[in-house]
Amino acid sequence: MGPWSEKEAMTALGWMVLVPLLMAVAVLCVPQSAPRAPRLLTLTALGATLLLALRVFVGFESAPADADGYRMVTEIPGLGAPALGIRCRLGVDGLNVGLLLMGALVGLAAAACAREVQTRTKEFYFLLLLMVGGILGAFASLDLFFFYFFHELALVPTFLMIGLWGRGTDQAAVAYQMTLYLTAGALVALIGLIALYLQVPPELRTFDMPTLSRYFREHPLPPEVQGWIYPLLLFGFGVLVSLWPLHSWAPPGYAAAPTATAMVHAGVLKKFGLYGLLRVGQPWLPEAAADWAWVVAWLALGNLLYAGWAAMQQRDLGRLLGYASVAHMGFVFLGLAAGNAMGMTGAVVVMVAHGLLAAVSFALAGHLYQQTGTLEMGQMGGLARRMPFLGAALTMAALAGCGLPGFANFIGEVTVFLGAWQVPELRVVTVGGLWAALVVGAIYMLRAVRAILHGPPGIAGASGRDIEGGWERWPHAMLLAGLLFLGWLPQVLVGKVEPVAARMVQREPTGVLAPGLEVEGKALTFPAAAAEGRLREVDSVWTGDGGIRQGPGM
Amino acid sequence: MAGGVVHGLGKRDGAMKFEGLLWWILFLPLGAAVWITLRTLKNPGRSAALSIGAALASFVLAVIFWAANGWTTGQVSVSWWRIGSWTASFDLRVDPLSLLMLLVVTGVGSVIHIYSVGYMRGDPGYARYFACLSLFLFSMLGIVLAGNFLQMFVFWELVGVSSYLLIGHWFERPAAADAAKKAFLTNRLGDLGFLAGILVLQGVAGTLDFGRLEETWPEQVSALGATATVVGLLIFCGVVGKSAQFPLHVWLPDAMEGPTPVSALIHAATMVAAGVYLLCRVFFLFTPEALMVVAWTGGLTALLAASIAVQQNDIKRVLAYSTLSQLGYMVMGVGLGGPAAAMFHLVTHAFFKALLFLGAGSVICALHHEQNIWRMGGLWRRMPVTFWTFLVGTLALAGAWPLSGFFSKDALLAVAWGRSLPLFVLGVGVAVLTSFYMFRLVWVAFGGPARSEAAAHAAESPQGMLWPLRLLGVLSVVAGVIGIQPVLQAILPGLEGSHAASWWGRLMEPFHHAPVPAAAGLAALLIGVGLAWKGYAGGAEDPVPNRWPVLGRWLRDRFYLDELYEGTVIWFHDAWARVVAGVERWVLNGFCLGLVRGGTDLLGQSLRLLQSGNLQTYALVFVVGLALLLWWTLGG
Amino acid sequence: MQWTPGLEHYLAVSFVLFSLGLLGVVVRRNLLVMYMCLELMLNAANLALVAFSRFRADLHGQMLVFFVITVAAAEVAVGLALLVALYRQRRTAHVEEVSLLRL
Repeated sequence: MGPWSEKEAMTALGWMVLVPLLMAVAVLCVPQSAPRAPRLLTLTALGATLLLALRVFVGFESAPADADGYRMVTEIPGLGAPALGIRCRLGVDGLNVGLLLMGALVGLAAAACAREVQTRTKEFYFLLLLMVGGILGAFASLDLFFFYFFHELALVPTFLMIGLWGRGTDQAAVAYQMTLYLTAGALVALIGLIALYLQVPPELRTFDMPTLSRYFREHPLPPEVQGWIYPLLLFGFGVLVSLWPLHSWAPPGYAAAPTATAMVHAGVLKKFGLYGLLRVGQPWLPEAAADWAWVVAWLALGNLLYAGWAAMQQRDLGRLLGYASVAHMGFVFLGLAAGNAMGMTGAVVVMVAHGLLAAVSFALAGHLYQQTGTLEMGQMGGLARRMPFLGAALTMAALAGCGLPGFANFIGEVTVFLGAWQVPELRVVTVGGLWAALVVGAIYMLRAVRAILHGPPGIAGASGRDIEGGWERWPHAMLLAGLLFLGWLPQVLVGKVEPVAARMVQREPTGVLAPGLEVEGKALTFPAAAAEGRLREVDSVWTGDGGIRQGPGM
Repeated sequence: MAGGVVHGLGKRDGAMKFEGLLWWILFLPLGAAVWITLRTLKNPGRSAALSIGAALASFVLAVIFWAANGWTTGQVSVSWWRIGSWTASFDLRVDPLSLLMLLVVTGVGSVIHIYSVGYMRGDPGYARYFACLSLFLFSMLGIVLAGNFLQMFVFWELVGVSSYLLIGHWFERPAAADAAKKAFLTNRLGDLGFLAGILVLQGVAGTLDFGRLEETWPEQVSALGATATVVGLLIFCGVVGKSAQFPLHVWLPDAMEGPTPVSALIHAATMVAAGVYLLCRVFFLFTPEALMVVAWTGGLTALLAASIAVQQNDIKRVLAYSTLSQLGYMVMGVGLGGPAAAMFHLVTHAFFKALLFLGAGSVICALHHEQNIWRMGGLWRRMPVTFWTFLVGTLALAGAWPLSGFFSKDALLAVAWGRSLPLFVLGVGVAVLTSFYMFRLVWVAFGGPARSEAAAHAAESPQGMLWPLRLLGVLSVVAGVIGIQPVLQAILPGLEGSHAASWWGRLMEPFHHAPVPAAAGLAALLIGVGLAWKGYAGGAEDPVPNRWPVLGRWLRDRFYLDELYEGTVIWFHDAWARVVAGVERWVLNGFCLGLVRGGTDLLGQSLRLLQSGNLQTYALVFVVGLALLLWWTLGG
Repeated sequence: MQWTPGLEHYLAVSFVLFSLGLLGVVVRRNLLVMYMCLELMLNAANLALVAFSRFRADLHGQMLVFFVITVAAAEVAVGLALLVALYRQRRTAHVEEVSLLRL
C-alpha cells in the first residue's frame, strides 16, 4: 500500500462510518415488493465498510501522524455544531485501529448470519446498519459529543431488535432490562464526561478529545476532583462492559437476542466501555486511575472467577456464552489495572480477539438454535456427526475461548498476565486469573462441547443440517481465520497498539517493565522527561512536537 | 515476522548448515494438517499419503541436518511480538538433546503413521485422524525445538489439544469423549502451575530464553533463595500434568479410549515424554530441594502404577500403567541428578513401548477389538510375528541383557544406587513388578489355550502393520549400544563410565562400572519372570482375586483414586460453582435487581398517591406550597 | 378624638376575608360555593391593594385593582360556563364526584 495522500486519508475513515449510516436510510426506502433487497444492500454496504477498514488498518503505519498521534484525521462536514465546539472529527491511532477492523469484520459476519430474520426484514437490517455504523463512529470519534452520541445510536437498536425478533418467552422483559441497565450505565458515564468537560475553564472549552487530552496532560486535575469523576466513569463504562457485579444484563440479554444482535453487541458494543476508559479515563485522570487500580483488579477477579463459575452451571448455550463473555472482560480489566504497557497492550489485544470469538460463538449458537429449535445443551448430543463443519468451528471457538495458543486470545491473555505479574499487589488476582483462564474456562467450554457435539445423539438435532456451502460458511471461516491470523502473527496488531500504550503508561508508571528498564516515577510531561534524560532504554519516546525519537534501547 | 537472527551458542563457531531445513521440519506436518482439513477430508487415501509424506519428509530432513552438522548447538530466532523492550521470540533451538529427540520423534512418528494406515482402515474418520496426527507431530516438534519457555508453553498446550482431538476420535462413544475431556482438563491443571512458574521466572530472571537462563541462572540462584525452588516446583507442575505423574496421572489410563496407534505415539513414546524432556532441558533450574520432590514424585508414581498394573485385565491398560511406571522411573532419575540416564531411558522406552502398543494393536485388530486378555490366548502360534516382537519388547522393558532396556534401566538404577538407597530399593522393587506384570500379560494373552472364539480364529495382521513391529523390534534390541549414551553423557550429568571401543566392551560396560545395580536389575527380572510363570502360565483365570481378594480389588480398582478425585476436588469445585450460580440467580438477579425493580415500583406507587384527582386537595397543596415558598424567600 | 382605622386594620380585614375564602375553597363541596369563595379571595386582595394605595398615596395599587376585577370577571364567566357544562354532563356540582383525573 502506498503512502497516504492527505485527501485519500480524509475519505476512507469518513466513508467507513458514513456508508452504513447512509445505507440504513436507503434500506428504509426499499419497497415491500423487493423482500431480498434489504439483505443484499446491507451485505454490500458492510462489505464496502470492511474493505475500507482493511485499507485503514493496512495503511496505518504509512499514514502521517498529527501532533497528538492520530492518523487519517477526517471531519464529516455538516454534522455537529461548531459554535458549541462540536465537530464530527474522526481519527485512528493504535488503540482503535484494531477495534475498527474487528467491528467491520463482525458487522459483516453478523449481517451474513441474519438469515433467520424472515419478518420485517427491512426494519431489522436498518437497525443492524445503525448499530454497526454507530459503533464504528464511536470508536473512530475524536469528539467527545459524537463519541457518546454514536454509542447511543448503536445501543438503542438493540432494544428493538431483542424485543421484536428475540428468542424465548420473555424477550420483551429482557429487552427492557438490558436496555435500561445499559442506558443507566451510559448515563452515569455521561455525568462523568460532562463533569470533565466542565473542569476546563470556559474560554478553553471544547469537545475535541485530543485538545482536551493535551489540556489535562498539562494541567492535571487535583486528586480530589479526579477522585469523584473517575468512579463515575469507571462504573458507568463498567456497566457497559459487564464489570462485576454490574453484569447481570448480559446472560439473559444474549440468550434472548437474535443472532446478529448478539454478535455485534457482545463482539463490538461491549468494548466501547473499555475503550472509553482507555481513551478518557486513563489518560485524563491518571492519578485516580492508579488509585482505583486495585478496585478494578479485584472486580476483574469477580468477572473472571465468578462469571466463570456461574457459566459452569448453565444449561443453556446462550446463557453460557453470555457468562463466558462476561468472564473474558476480566482479562481486559486486569490489563487495565496493571497500568503498564504490557497490561494495556494485552488488554487491547484481548478486546479485538474476544470480539471475533464472541461473534463466531454466537453465530454458531444461532445456527444451532435454528436447526434444533433449542439451546438446551442437555437435549443435544453427537452433533459433530451430523454437522461436521459446525463441530469443527465450535471446537475451535471453545478452545480459543479457554486461551489455547494459536488463537489471538492466548496472545492477549498471556501478555496481560505478564504485565499484571509485574505489579506485586496484583499477583493474587493474577493467580486467580490463571485459574479462571486455564481451568474454569476449559471446564465449561469442554463440557459444552461434550454435551453438544460428542456422545450419542440426543433428542434435538435429529433433523438439523450442517452449515453447508460457501455462502453459509464464509462468515464463520472469516472470523476464525482472523483469530488464527492474529494468533500466529500478533505483531501486526501489537506493533500498532504498543506505542500508544507505552505513551499512556509512562505518564504514571507502576512497577518495573523488566530488570534494567526503569522509568522515573513522576507525572512528567514528555518533553521535560526526555530532555532531562531520565527515561532510559525506552523503545520510543514521544516528543511533544509530534515526532518519535528512537530510544537507546533500540 | 522480522528476519532471522542466528546465535551460535556452543560447540561450533559460525552458523549451522541448512538452517532453513529446521523450518521445513517443523512446519511440514502443520501444512499437511491444514491441507487435509481444508481440501482432502473426503479423500482418505490422499489424506493418509499427505500425512505420512510430511512425517517421513520431516524425518529425512532431520537426518540430513544431523548428517551435515553433527551434534551441534545453535539457535535460529525470529521476533514474534514485541512490547517495549520485551520480545516474545520464536526460536528453533538445536543442541544434541533436541537433535536426538527430533530424530526419535520423527522416526517413531513416521513408523506409527505407516502403521495407522492398516489399523484405521475403514474408519469413517480416517482423514480427520491423519489431520490430527499431523497436527500432533507439528506440536511435538515445536516442543522439541522450542528455545524459550513461552514457546514451549505454546506447543505444550497444542500437544494437549492434539491429544484431546485424538483420544476423542471416536467421539460418539461416551467413554472416549469423557476421556478426552478428562485428559485435557487434568493437563490444564498442570499447565496452571507451569504458566505460574513462567510468570515468576520472567519476574525474577527477566528472560525466558533457555540459553540465556542457562548462563545467568547459577549466579542468581543464591540471591533468590526459596524462590528458586518455587520456580522449579512450578515448572515441575507442568511435567506432572503432561507426563502423568501422581497426582495427575489419572488421565493416562482413560486415554486408552483412543485408537491404539495414538496410544503408541502420544501416550507412550512422545507426548508423555515431553515432560521428561523439559526436565532435562532446564535441569539447571532446579535446586536440590526441588529435585528431591521430583525424585520422590517419580518414585511414588512408578511404584503406584506398577502395583495397579499387576491386576489390570485390559491389554492397553496394562501397557498404560506400565508407561506411567516407566515415566515415574525417568522422573525419578532426573530428580536424583541423572537427567542423562532419564533421557537414555526415554529414548529406549520410546522404541519398546511403541512396539508393545503396536503389537497390542495388532492383537486387538485381529481379535475384532477384543481387549480383555482373559479372552485371548494361544496367539503365539497363530500370530508369530506379533508374538515374537511383543516378546522382544517385553524383554526390553523388563530389562533383559543385552537389550536396550537393560542399559537404560541400569543407568537409572546406578544413579539411584549412588544417591539414595531408599529410592534404589524402590527402583528394584518396581523392576520386579514390571517384569511380573509384563510376563503375566505375555503368558495370558499369547500363551495357553485360546479362551474365546475370536482368539481361536485370529490371523496375523497385514504386512503394513508388521514391518513397523519388526523395525521397532530391532531398535529395541540395539538401541542400548549404538551410541546414544555418549551423546547424552556429553551434555547432561548422570551417565558415567568410559565408552569402550569394542562391541563386547560396550555390552559388558554396566557390569564393570556399577555391578550392584546391574546385578540387582537382572535379579529383579528373573524373580518377576519366575513369579509370573508360577501364577499365570497356562492358567484359566487370575489367581490373585481368590488368594488375596482385598488386595486384588484395591489394585484392580486403581486404589480408588479416580473416585477420590471425583468425590473431593471435582465435587467441591462443582458445589462451589453451584453456590455461585445460586448467588447469581437469587442474590444479584433476584434480590439486587429485584430491589431496583421494586424500588422503582414503590416510588411510582407513592407518587401516584399525590394524583388523587380531588380538586380541593390540589388547591390545599398549592396554597401550602406557596406559603412555604414565600416564607423561604422573604425571611425564614 | 376620632379614631381612624390604620393600614393594619384594613390589612387585617383583608386577611380575614382571604382566609375565609380559602377555607371555603378547601372545605366546601359545592362548586358554586367554591366559586363564590374564590371571588371572596380575589376581593380580599383588592381590598389590600386599595388600602396600600390609600395609605401610601400611590395610584399603582388602584390600577392593579382594575386588572384584578377584569380578570375575576373573565374567570367567573368561564368558570360558570364550565360548571353548567359539567352539570349537564354529570348531573352534579359536587367537587368530590368529578375526580376522573386520578391515577
